[in-house]
Amino acid sequence: MSKVRSCYLPSVEMIQCKWCHAQNQPGTTSCQMCGAPLDERDKVSDSGWRQAPRLRDMVEFQFSGSTCQVEGELVPVAEISLHPRDGVYFEHHVLLWKDESVPLSSLNTGGGMKRTIGGMPHIVTVANGPGRIAFSRDAPGELVVLPLHPGMELDVREHAFLVASHSVQYSFIRIKGLVNLLHGGSGMYMDRFITAGAPGMLLLHGNGNVLERTLQPNEKILVEPGGFLYKDSSVQMQAAQMPLKTGLMRHGMYLAEMTGPGRVGIQSMYVHHHAD
Amino acid sequence: MNTYICRYCRQPSDPNAPTCPLCGAPVDIKSSVSDSGWVEQPAIKDMARLQFGQSHLQIAGTTVPVAEFNLASNDWIYFSHHVLLWTEPQTRLTNMPMRGAWNRKMAGMPLVMVEGRGPGHLALSDNHAGEVVALPMQHGQQIWVREHRFLTATGSIKYDWYPSDIWYETGQDSDDREIHYPMGQFGDVFGAHEGPGLLLLHAPGNVFIRDLQPGQTLLIQPSALLYRDVSVRMALHLEYPRNMGFAFWHNRWSYRSIWVRLFGPGRVAVQSVYQPPEDTEVIVNHSYATTHHW
Repeated sequence: MSKVRSCYLPSVEMIQCKWCHAQNQPGTTSCQMCGAPLDERDKVSDSGWRQAPRLRDMVEFQFSGSTCQVEGELVPVAEISLHPRDGVYFEHHVLLWKDESVPLSSLNTGGGMKRTIGGMPHIVTVANGPGRIAFSRDAPGELVVLPLHPGMELDVREHAFLVASHSVQYSFIRIKGLVNLLHGGSGMYMDRFITAGAPGMLLLHGNGNVLERTLQPNEKILVEPGGFLYKDSSVQMQAAQMPLKTGLMRHGMYLAEMTGPGRVGIQSMYVHHHAD
Repeated sequence: MNTYICRYCRQPSDPNAPTCPLCGAPVDIKSSVSDSGWVEQPAIKDMARLQFGQSHLQIAGTTVPVAEFNLASNDWIYFSHHVLLWTEPQTRLTNMPMRGAWNRKMAGMPLVMVEGRGPGHLALSDNHAGEVVALPMQHGQQIWVREHRFLTATGSIKYDWYPSDIWYETGQDSDDREIHYPMGQFGDVFGAHEGPGLLLLHAPGNVFIRDLQPGQTLLIQPSALLYRDVSVRMALHLEYPRNMGFAFWHNRWSYRSIWVRLFGPGRVAVQSVYQPPEDTEVIVNHSYATTHHW
């Protein structure tokens, strides 16, 4: 485990989280910002894919004045204790339970009928503190905790977003180009999360296992579109036709070509978009 | 001289490595055996490496594991295009011709296999929570695998497929007759005819293996069978419970059990996630079967 010396506390060796790079007090076993275990070896495959940290059952981390606790390991639940001045937003069908006193409101995402046609919700639900509220999706997998620093933009595949703190701006981008729409396998829209002046917290649910790789400028990787989970907005995504024919009609096979620089996250369980 | 034999893949292995370099099974664990003789196949450890030819693969993840290949320039593997998770641009992908496209389409099997040739990296994964099972095959060895469980095989392993010959028919008249294949219409057979190779399967749930003695039989759920030695034979077995109260008028089909009977000798493997056969109608015809009425 690497230890770096804090410039503020020169006599104390802080522990840097390898997932979110936050500094943690000595002796802590999980990151206070993202919940990643600090006492385990980083798992990186030979080709550079890093496994998202497997969060321990009942681990806690903090964002703003609130606390999130992760329960379960097969289909994890994110249980949030909201500070009175904090809020979170989410798609309403991921809400597992909440205290009666936690007020809910709705936030229009814009896009109206186009979002409906794309199978995306055109409102997200907002919950404000104080109180407790819990979220989960409906497949075996992992919670991916992504603390966002000011000035970050992250694109997420549709319906993978679990919950975000209210300081994170929610937007969406329409996937452009007929080839990308028809063969990209990522639907019509991608969610875009932006932090302006304040940091924020974004939680995703990845089906199966989640792996992340950082691409260098102009470095390319071809990913099954159903496996795509998230990317930095600096990563370009295009549908690329493979020299292969599939199915009885011998139609072409397309993969998502990712071009760096930036991070790409994938999930190992997905419904193949070319399923015959 | 190395005398250590991996208890899972049955091949000479390295006792000093943390995991078997041929099948990925942990070396340093105690075998987990049930009272009835089922040996639990241990999950391949996260980030374990397996060697084949000049290439190797690495298993990443434990819920839905990914098999990440580093292919040398002379090595190649084949797989269904459904399981390709990612590839580097320099890895060469080409179509592998398959016979019987129409029959495969009708049986719901993949029509096209893809060949991936080195040098380069690519990764494969299935879409169920479960385990990757690595089966190193010796020259001349053959293994039968239930359909849709195949993940990939090295180029030295020949792939063929045959009717499973396990079926039954329901429906009283010709209009509603339906043929059911409780373990699939076809089964995959892999043979290491050109030399040793590696076969990878994906099994939903957990995997258990057992060695049947000559003449020993076993009843299992048809869709739970993962693979078997070709020396193990199988046939349909129908079991009907004794009449119980008011259920007498429909118990011949509503409470029946549809099994596959396995006949040793040889190794069999089952997965803990399966889909029971439908039990809505009376069976009017079937493949060779034994029947028992309690």
